[in-house]
Amino acid sequence: MIWVIHVLNGIAIGMLLFLLAAGLSLIFGLMKILNLTHGSFYLVGGYIGLTVMQRTGSFALALLAAAAAIALLGAVIERFVLRRFHLDELPQTLLTFGFLFIFADLSLWIWGGDPVMVRQPRILAGSLPMGDYGYPIYRLFLIAVGLVVAGALWWFQEHTRLGTMLRAGVDDAEIARALGIDVSLLFTLIFAVGAALAALGGVLAAPILSLYPGADFDALILAFVVVIVGGLGSLKGALVGALLVGLLDDFGKAFFPQFALFTVFVPMAFILVVRPTGLFGRR
Amino acid sequence: MTGRIGSIVVCVVFVALMLALPHMVRPYYVGLATKMIIFALFAMSLDLLLGYTGLASLGHAAFFGVAAYAVALLILRAGVGGWIAFPAALVASTVTGALVAVLALRARGSYFLMITFALAQVVWSVAFGWRSFTNGDDGMPGVARPNFGWSLEGTDAFYYFVLAVVGCAALLLLAIVKSPFGRALRGIRESETRMQALGYDVWRYQFVAFVLAASFAGLAGALYAYFNRFVGPEYLHVIQSAEALIMVILGGAGTLVGPAIGAALIVFLEDYVSSLTQHWLLVLGSIYVLVTLFAPRGLVGLIVDYRQRRFEP
Amino acid sequence: MTTTKTIPFGMTIAPYAATSLARRRVLRSIATAGAVALTLGAPGLAAQADDTIKIGILLPLSGNFAPNGQQALTGMKMYFDEIGNTAAGHKLELIVEDTQGKPDVGVTKARKEVERDGAQVLTGVVSSGVALAVNDYSRENKVPLVLSGDAGADELTMPGPLTNPYLIRTSQNGRSVSAPAADWAYKKGWRKVTIIGSDYAGGVDTNHAFAQAFCALGGKVIQEQWPPIGTSDFGPYLTNLDRTADAVVTFEPGADGLRFGQQFSEFGLKGKLPVLDIYGTIVYEPNLPQLGDGALGIYSSLFYAAMLKTPENDRFVAELKKRTGNLPSNEGPNGYTGARAIADAITAVKGDLTDTMKFMAALKAVKFPSPKGDLSLDKYGQVIQSMFIREVQKVDGQLANVPIATYANIDQFWPFTEAEFAEYKYSYKELKGSLTDCGKLLAKK
Repeated sequence: MIWVIHVLNGIAIGMLLFLLAAGLSLIFGLMKILNLTHGSFYLVGGYIGLTVMQRTGSFALALLAAAAAIALLGAVIERFVLRRFHLDELPQTLLTFGFLFIFADLSLWIWGGDPVMVRQPRILAGSLPMGDYGYPIYRLFLIAVGLVVAGALWWFQEHTRLGTMLRAGVDDAEIARALGIDVSLLFTLIFAVGAALAALGGVLAAPILSLYPGADFDALILAFVVVIVGGLGSLKGALVGALLVGLLDDFGKAFFPQFALFTVFVPMAFILVVRPTGLFGRR
Repeated sequence: MTGRIGSIVVCVVFVALMLALPHMVRPYYVGLATKMIIFALFAMSLDLLLGYTGLASLGHAAFFGVAAYAVALLILRAGVGGWIAFPAALVASTVTGALVAVLALRARGSYFLMITFALAQVVWSVAFGWRSFTNGDDGMPGVARPNFGWSLEGTDAFYYFVLAVVGCAALLLLAIVKSPFGRALRGIRESETRMQALGYDVWRYQFVAFVLAASFAGLAGALYAYFNRFVGPEYLHVIQSAEALIMVILGGAGTLVGPAIGAALIVFLEDYVSSLTQHWLLVLGSIYVLVTLFAPRGLVGLIVDYRQRRFEP
Repeated sequence: MTTTKTIPFGMTIAPYAATSLARRRVLRSIATAGAVALTLGAPGLAAQADDTIKIGILLPLSGNFAPNGQQALTGMKMYFDEIGNTAAGHKLELIVEDTQGKPDVGVTKARKEVERDGAQVLTGVVSSGVALAVNDYSRENKVPLVLSGDAGADELTMPGPLTNPYLIRTSQNGRSVSAPAADWAYKKGWRKVTIIGSDYAGGVDTNHAFAQAFCALGGKVIQEQWPPIGTSDFGPYLTNLDRTADAVVTFEPGADGLRFGQQFSEFGLKGKLPVLDIYGTIVYEPNLPQLGDGALGIYSSLFYAAMLKTPENDRFVAELKKRTGNLPSNEGPNGYTGARAIADAITAVKGDLTDTMKFMAALKAVKFPSPKGDLSLDKYGQVIQSMFIREVQKVDGQLANVPIATYANIDQFWPFTEAEFAEYKYSYKELKGSLTDCGKLLAKK
């Protein structure tokens, strides 16, 4: 039974990682931007969710508000700042880095430095008895949410016009533009969606992992590890990478506690040596 | 030619100022100047990679930190003196640079950036997590300064030591960038494919540049370990790499002197701002954004532009 | 691999800067600017002599320890305001610098306060890493250091290589917070415990002291787990917990404490295993409302409880609540106490700090009732105070840490004498991983 719990744990954390990494991967795949502000989207999204939760008591509203607010923020950043440096990678990266620092400081200013946890919605609180142990229902909920989001993103990518345009844009932006696809609008949209995913991750993670100054960097690093393992630009890569990292992290901590910090980096280092573009990355 | 005489005058004045500094300001500022010089070297080393070879690395602090840790570990754990610790630290950072280069140079652009970031994080996690070896989060205090005949414990003595070491390193870097090797690097920066077509083994040049950059960064790291008499995982953190990057960009990539100025400015600003407010990160982030938007070629670029315009009809 | 050409950033400057003419011009402009700045600035950088006594405060005001630093600063300011920022007729000036929780920054700021701003005594410090670095600085430069923050590294005030005659510590040390907890745990009837301790010097220190004291009484640690500092997900550790233990003893600082507490309930362990939280980091006042009823019944050991009913504390709690709207935890009372120690010592030397050793003697001689109880210092400058075992209960509808047991006159070696303590063979560093081995814990030289 204890094995089942460890596996569930790995998958639950993996789903959180997926939400985080999917956005980063999508943004890079289409726009070739390494969005370092992604960590801020996670943290600020989480904090916004916290504030909404405190005012209204509704977790669903918190999720919605955070996703919407951060999507807007992302769209504005992309449209008015990043767009200026189209295809110039270093300036874009530097800008997103600058924003990461700015948002880190602002969130410390606004929400303070004490770590905070969003209260779990009552229906999801409590644990499912599993033999001698109990497993948190909320984490099972996370697994469900992750699967739903993954499914939705996949369906969007494969079966909608927008998704087809996205795939075309990823393959070759210039040709896509030549074919009449409004690539600029697509860019803004995808950036916003990626940001919203990170924000969702932040709100969903808050009840268990808490929000604290520095969570943006921690999240960013984990997202990086996942996309390096899974491959940039691939949704499948983000999912597989996230699950792999989540499981390895849990089992690593449980059975090799002295290497607890490294269990996250080991798969990454391995992939870098063996297959630098990641499991499902494109060259 | 007045230009040449003018530039000699400038050099002499500058050197004189640097030499006279300890007699002009209080010890605290001599310490600050020492820190500025050390980071000037760090920034210049990154400039070799970014400004001259065109490779943007987000993990340069790894080499800085590895050298610092090498110094601390050798002195504190192996009881070794400065004569051995110092060069050993350089070797450590050079070797680390070579390892990272081999892995990272399989990619370009954003992939390269991400990989350098990730690898630097791995090094950081070793320093942070391997408590029994590195003391982890607490860091390693008590690093004694080397004694090469004179004691370097005093602020002024150490300042002159750093000035001498970095001065030589800077001249060496200058020689490197002016050499045919340096010119080849600039060619690679402009267009890899063209250089490849011309018969240059591009990878080899990039590799050597990367390793050299790592060595010079290591030199700066070793000096910093002695300066603080302390080493901690923050030396390896991505924020340190990010600060190096902004020093280069702020000053002006590809000029060597620009990044040195950028470094001095950032070190000074950080010291000044953090006394006034705890919002240094906000200031740093804003500098990033503002410089990228309005002064992408850095301060040197701005000055050159200004002077260019003055002479335009 | 992208087919579009990446324009190397800022590379367009190359054609210009490459010409030595442009470069020279640039150098000239900068050099002249620098020279002007220095000549103008140099006189302004000279020191100013004054009758004011300057106190250099070193606290993390940004970064992960920011809330702790802020609380400590509030506590300090509270005391200095109470005495009108004056002692022995001299005005007291507080110089506050942010250490960011980083040792190198801490030393730089210490240097700044002493060398640039003329501070005659340093105080504060939350992070043990910063404490160790600043301790070195204090010793080398003979600057009095009054540690009044969380930095509880035992070896700072024990005889050994770090001994610093210019140091006193009014806050606590790791051992003294956990050894009484071991005594209480044994008296409560617990004989087997499982330890979850944060993997860093403070955590190892504290849990070692618990294990050693517990073994000495006849108890035993049956399991030890060491999540790294900053662990977000305690799932694996909680799942691994040995359920046959009588209780789980934890030391999880900062945000880790909040997460641990929450996840403990989450995994259905509440009610199955009592929790003894060393240092009260899980039941830290700002965490209680977030943990909700899941925190009820958690025991903790600390040198303070906001619910302590003494005239000193009642006054303190009322004032702190007025300033911050919150109940005090540990940093506020510590900051307040450290400030008082400094002020009392300044009064004892009549405001003349020029004889540093005399000032240190005065500091070591301080003795007064504080919000955390009666306080004095041992010969190494380490505080002797009371420890409290508290339990989370509902008081007037709010969750609070209520003291249920008191241990008075706890010094840094408790329950051993200094001589007895010196007889133990292994240091805590060597014992991580061996906390389940009573034989090794109690082995004498």
